[in-house]
Amino acid sequence: MGIACEKETMGRYIARRLLWLLVVIFSVSVITFVIAHAVPGGPFSREKKLPPAVLKQLNEKYRLDDPLWKQYVEYMGGIFIPRLTSGEPSTSYLEDYLINIPLGEYTLRWMNFGPSYKSQSRTVNDVFRENLPVSAELGFYAFLVASVIGIPLGIVAALKQNTWVDYIAMGIAIFGVSVPVIVLGPVLIWLFAIRLPIFLPSGWGSWRAEVLPSIALGLGSSAIIARLTRASLLQVIREDYIRTARAKGLMERVVIIRHALRNSLIPVVTVMGPIFAFLVTGTFVTETIFGVPGMGRYFVTSITNRDYPVIMGTILLFAVVIVIANLIVDLLYAWLDPRIRYD
Amino acid sequence: MSSRKVVVALLVLLVVIIAVAAWFFLIRGVGAPTVVKIGKIDPANLPAKETLSSALFGAGDIPTLDPSLAEDTTSIQMGLELFVGLTRLNEETAQVEPGMATEWKVSDDGLVYTFTLRQGIPWVHYDREAGEVVVVKDEQGNPRYVTAHDFVYGVKRTLDPKTGSNYAYVNWIIKNAQAVNGGSELGDQDPLYGKVDEIGVRALDDYTIEYTLTQPASFFPGIASMWINWAQPKWLIEEKGDKWIEPENIQSYGPYVLGDWTHDVSATLVANPFWPGIDSVPKPSIKYIHFTMLDESPSFANYEAGLADVAGVPLTELDRVKADPVLSKELSINPEFCTYYYGFNVTKPPFDDVNVRKAFSWAVNRKAIVENVTKGGQEPARWFSRPGLTAAPDPAKGDDFGPPAEGDPVKAKEFLAASKYGGADKLPEITLMVNQVEGHVKIAEAIQQMWQETLGVKVNLVTQEWKVYLDTLDSDPPQVWRLGWCYDYADADNFARGVFRSDSGNNHTRWKNEKFDQLVDQAAVETDLQKRHDLYVQAEKILVEEDAAIIPIYWYTRVQVTKPYVTRTYGLGGHEAYEKWKINK
Repeated sequence: MGIACEKETMGRYIARRLLWLLVVIFSVSVITFVIAHAVPGGPFSREKKLPPAVLKQLNEKYRLDDPLWKQYVEYMGGIFIPRLTSGEPSTSYLEDYLINIPLGEYTLRWMNFGPSYKSQSRTVNDVFRENLPVSAELGFYAFLVASVIGIPLGIVAALKQNTWVDYIAMGIAIFGVSVPVIVLGPVLIWLFAIRLPIFLPSGWGSWRAEVLPSIALGLGSSAIIARLTRASLLQVIREDYIRTARAKGLMERVVIIRHALRNSLIPVVTVMGPIFAFLVTGTFVTETIFGVPGMGRYFVTSITNRDYPVIMGTILLFAVVIVIANLIVDLLYAWLDPRIRYD
Repeated sequence: MSSRKVVVALLVLLVVIIAVAAWFFLIRGVGAPTVVKIGKIDPANLPAKETLSSALFGAGDIPTLDPSLAEDTTSIQMGLELFVGLTRLNEETAQVEPGMATEWKVSDDGLVYTFTLRQGIPWVHYDREAGEVVVVKDEQGNPRYVTAHDFVYGVKRTLDPKTGSNYAYVNWIIKNAQAVNGGSELGDQDPLYGKVDEIGVRALDDYTIEYTLTQPASFFPGIASMWINWAQPKWLIEEKGDKWIEPENIQSYGPYVLGDWTHDVSATLVANPFWPGIDSVPKPSIKYIHFTMLDESPSFANYEAGLADVAGVPLTELDRVKADPVLSKELSINPEFCTYYYGFNVTKPPFDDVNVRKAFSWAVNRKAIVENVTKGGQEPARWFSRPGLTAAPDPAKGDDFGPPAEGDPVKAKEFLAASKYGGADKLPEITLMVNQVEGHVKIAEAIQQMWQETLGVKVNLVTQEWKVYLDTLDSDPPQVWRLGWCYDYADADNFARGVFRSDSGNNHTRWKNEKFDQLVDQAAVETDLQKRHDLYVQAEKILVEEDAAIIPIYWYTRVQVTKPYVTRTYGLGGHEAYEKWKINK
């Protein structure tokens, strides 16, 4: 009974959080939409001025002449309202659905995030389909690098506090925080792709191209994680229950791993959620330096290009990922600290 | 087996072979082959000896391959390899050469141009599954050759308001085109609006195209070379819609075909075995051209790692490249058809006074800017139409006017003293605005300092984000602002008349000069090259000297490195003719 009850509470908790996700998406979409359109300049304002007639044609094509509320409703409708269509998919970049479920002679089409105004032969869904997996893969590797380096480094530093081990570990961490990718990236490329051609200076799809950007991207985050792990572990080690565990005569290794570490990871996991969300949705600088065809570039260029559908798509995606990452973090709390309950 | 049986067997075999061969040659006929096997393309593993890897594209996907919609260097570069216009601009001299047209005639009044088309050039498609370049067939199974109708369709599609072409306005010089495109004063209420069949272009027969213009235009053969006037495959566009340009669909006819396009990553061109080769567009020597879509710095890193054969040089690396014994030999600095300039809003004091404008222009040391600030080998600009453009003033031809390259502090002070303000202390507050880009801000700070030192004028520097800045230039141009202009067609007309004629939408100076308008209009219709050049000299003198409506700052250059085993030409306008390049490995 107890277990079933607990499970139900957990299920309800997750359901409630996912409902909140809808509220988040709604708020983020309204704010983003309004701000994006409020900024002066439009997608078609450029150095070589377009003749008014052409501008009018383009605005008509993308319905930018409609009132703002109507544009918003149409855009969000395109994403959330499923459509039942028959026949071949549209040949227009204006209609590209992320989800296409064949139902006999009809097809259920859902989630049209719109075209890109700048890359005229791309849609936001193309970016999700082709660029997002690359960013996610890079982010995942970088996250692994960050965790695998960061957590052990923090533990070692805490356990050997104020010894040379601690100083070296924290020296590495400070180096990681203070040397940005924009410096580290070219140095790594020059050393390991040009001087010693072990890796490729750019690209994606082979391990030779993937190692350097993963390290460059992961190192900064590993430093944050290392410092946080150290500080948190130092605090936990001084707690009464650790002293109790030691007094019981448990082996130091068991005390640290079973009792101290698990509790000290709570603040670490808290920051790892957003770090994960940031890493997997694309990082502009790393992707640019290493020529990784991810979606980081779209976050930045969509804004400078006033590419409204791309702005909306990337921001909504980011919102969803960060909400889900935080949800996972919250669920991890319960595992790390049995005192935390969801009801 | 007896030897006789062997002989019989051999004879039978021979007869069979002859019969089969006869069947192939006589009954099926020996028409031209319509399929050439290339093999499947793996963009990551192209044969090095037959592949040129070009890192000259920037980061980001190729915006489009649709000739009606292309507007950026990358799209147009791809297009120039896939399609050929009626005429072709020589990439090194910017002169008009025959392209798909073998010859053209102009009527005596200069209004009607008749182009005669080359015959027997087929539409082709690279079939990625089969690894073959295939000639496109029509419904009857006959090869589709490029005809006058395909060119006419291209022009009409560009001008159709439904297409939304950004460059359609260049074609407004064709009869009725402006009204059809929605550019007349009546806009979409014009009775001609959208009626593409009323445009003054038609196919007299399969291989003759006639354009009727609104006014004589000596630069029209240059316009005929532009992407907006290329042949387009009507059957394909009607079937596939927007997606006709995707690699699984696209059909083209130029020196290369599209072998692969991995969006946001790379594009690979394959030499078109059906392109016969003409003087201006030879049969390609290099089988594959592989373009990577990377930012400048990874492009250059690839070049250094031996993974790219040609790349642009990032400004931050230029000093190192110049000093490096190997790289310095691979470096090339070539002109690019763009001009960097500051404009005045001549309606805002103190720049309503021509002497103040002249003082500010003569106080700028352009040579110091290109040598100490931009450092990309740019040339100090003394007027607007970049030398090298057809009919543009050129120092190499002895043209010498405009503000001096080093500036002239003494004259600048004299001009300021001669103005109605009399001196620096009586000038109103002055704002210089540039868009927020590091390079522009650096130049602005240098010029701010020159004005301070030479004229004793303190100028406020304000920056705005690009699109906000463009809005400001449109609605309320600041006293001094920055812009650049790059060519659409390599003629001084595109610069002088295209930007500074009083009715041009690109003229943010609010400066109007009737004589200037007359001169550039006259130059547009004049056919004698020397006379046109002289007219532009007169017009430019008004623009940068007499009225000093702008401060020309520098003429752009293209800084590249090329591996020594590549024999190449150097494109002036930012476009390369890869079909003329060779690899000697």
